[in-house]
Amino acid sequence: MSLLELTKISKHFGGVRALHEVDLAVDPGEVVALIGDNGAGKSTLVKIVSGVESPDTGEIRVRGESARLVSPRAAAEAGIRTVFQDLSLCDNLDAVQNLFLGQEKYGPMWSGRRIRRHVMEEHAHRILESLSVKLRSLSTPVVALSGGQRQGIAICRALISDPAVVILDEPTAALGVSQRAEVLDLIHRLRDQGRGVVVISHDMKDVRQVADRVVVLRLGTRVAEFRRGEYTPSDLVGAMTGAHEGDEL
Amino acid sequence: MSTATTSAPETRRTPAGRAIEMAARGHRSLPVLIVLAIIWTVFYSQSPAYLSFQNITNLTLQIATTAILALGVVFVLLVGEIDLSSAVLSGVCAAIAAGLAVNSGLALPLAIAVAIAAGMAITLVEALVITFGVPSLIVTLGGMVILQGLILVVLPPEFTVSVAGTSFAKIAGTAIPAGAGYVLAAMGTLVFAAYRFVQYRERMSTGTRTSPVAVVVPSVLVAVVLFGGVFTLTRQRGLPMPVLIVAVMLLIAWYFTTQTRYGIHLYAVGGDREAAQRAGVPVRRMVIYSFLILGACAAIAGMVDASRQLGVSVTSGAGPLMLNAIAAAVVGGTSLFGGRGSIWSAILGALVIGSISNGVQLLGLTTEVQYFATGSVLIIAVAVDVVLTRGSLWPGRRR
Repeated sequence: MSLLELTKISKHFGGVRALHEVDLAVDPGEVVALIGDNGAGKSTLVKIVSGVESPDTGEIRVRGESARLVSPRAAAEAGIRTVFQDLSLCDNLDAVQNLFLGQEKYGPMWSGRRIRRHVMEEHAHRILESLSVKLRSLSTPVVALSGGQRQGIAICRALISDPAVVILDEPTAALGVSQRAEVLDLIHRLRDQGRGVVVISHDMKDVRQVADRVVVLRLGTRVAEFRRGEYTPSDLVGAMTGAHEGDEL
Repeated sequence: MSTATTSAPETRRTPAGRAIEMAARGHRSLPVLIVLAIIWTVFYSQSPAYLSFQNITNLTLQIATTAILALGVVFVLLVGEIDLSSAVLSGVCAAIAAGLAVNSGLALPLAIAVAIAAGMAITLVEALVITFGVPSLIVTLGGMVILQGLILVVLPPEFTVSVAGTSFAKIAGTAIPAGAGYVLAAMGTLVFAAYRFVQYRERMSTGTRTSPVAVVVPSVLVAVVLFGGVFTLTRQRGLPMPVLIVAVMLLIAWYFTTQTRYGIHLYAVGGDREAAQRAGVPVRRMVIYSFLILGACAAIAGMVDASRQLGVSVTSGAGPLMLNAIAAAVVGGTSLFGGRGSIWSAILGALVIGSISNGVQLLGLTTEVQYFATGSVLIIAVAVDVVLTRGSLWPGRRR
């Protein structure tokens, strides 16, 4: 049974067709890469799965059960976590506050939902350490951190609630060589934990390295799907651009 | 933190850059404290009566209304909105409370409750329009004009309610005996020390680095401030009630903004609305909460003011109150762009603005000097905020 299954998802923005009857399934312990040219509908699909946008038509099933992902919280509760390309960190909050934003550990009602900072710090510590994200201090506003550190916090944040499906939107776009290798390593680790991973990427090298399956979108429709080892880079580019010969490479 | 803190490679910074970064972090109250010290020194050098017990007590009474209103404004600024209507709203709420308590003979607590509920109901309507998508500047500008009309409706035909000699006047007129004041100060210190101790125990239990110094030093500081404050303010008649009201409101606001989930969400919404939304923070609800708090603060500010002025009239909440409250919040270090600042900025900013006008009046200077000084302090404060937000002294650079 698939962890996440999308059936005939369509979405319009005004007169623009962003997605048209897209199907997508993610199995446990599988990395699915979602690729496509600009405007292919990748971001819209990510937003739908993460509960930011609602589809016009189509069905979303999580672990076989129909789910309505009406809000980011609903998506998180269904076990889907997304790391957005812009990381979606609040610059004025510190690492711990960002990691637990929206899923804080807090005390009883009578205390006004007092945050249990010490528990959060300890948990933050373990998770950051497991991915060897190094920070000077957990209480520095994240605006003062480097790009790699911010990416690390954003990915760790997705793991706090132990999600079934993790969606990574261009996870390596802004990273240096060693940090990129770390992130790819992390994607493998997520897969080995039995999670379903969806990676949106422009980078063909990344895709070939991590993806068990590649799904290609073009102009809002799903045009091709490849299994690991059954494609060449020119197949991917051909499907993305619609030039099936792939002469460009 | 004990582990995972191997020093990350740091970019080289100029001393100015480092100072800006430090100020942008936890020390945002520092600039305003320095400004306050300068103002006090200047006026004290002109007239030693400026820092007399009597004048300090007067000053605290003068700034109470501004401070309470500014506290509400801080909540709205923190979520990245603005409000222009709350001063007039405070007049409306005072008119409702005074009308009910004095003219209709309703029990005072009930009249106060009705006024606070009315204030919150009005800001709720404003907040709903704002979350619907109309900019808060416009909604509250229009709201201000509407409320100027509403105060004429709420006031009786003679357009004034006198509260002299009634129980309503006792809200601001009550002086708490010095002995009771010291008991309150002792209780406050104990509660604070106990709270720091609980935090210390919690951090010990998870092996987080901490030390007993984190309990003792702040507790001693709080004790000095509380006992010193009570000593200073009880030289005349006893601790003025408005001071206690402000203190209790600050305490509650401090707890909820810094110690609870609500506080984190408040700052998150002001810091990056889209990120907060994606993380599952109920952004619209947080904006509505802020305006509800502002409504309650405005009502309380209006009633304290009416009680102190011994009456409500069409000019209640008019004049410079609104701009003073916003200026107080901003001078105190709360950013107009949302997400930065603390509730202390309300009291510190109100102190700065109140200290200037108090000193100008004490020295018998002309009103224009007060306007020049207050306006300059406001602009300098916002300039400091711009520098702190940008992280650099010069335009076009970012950290």
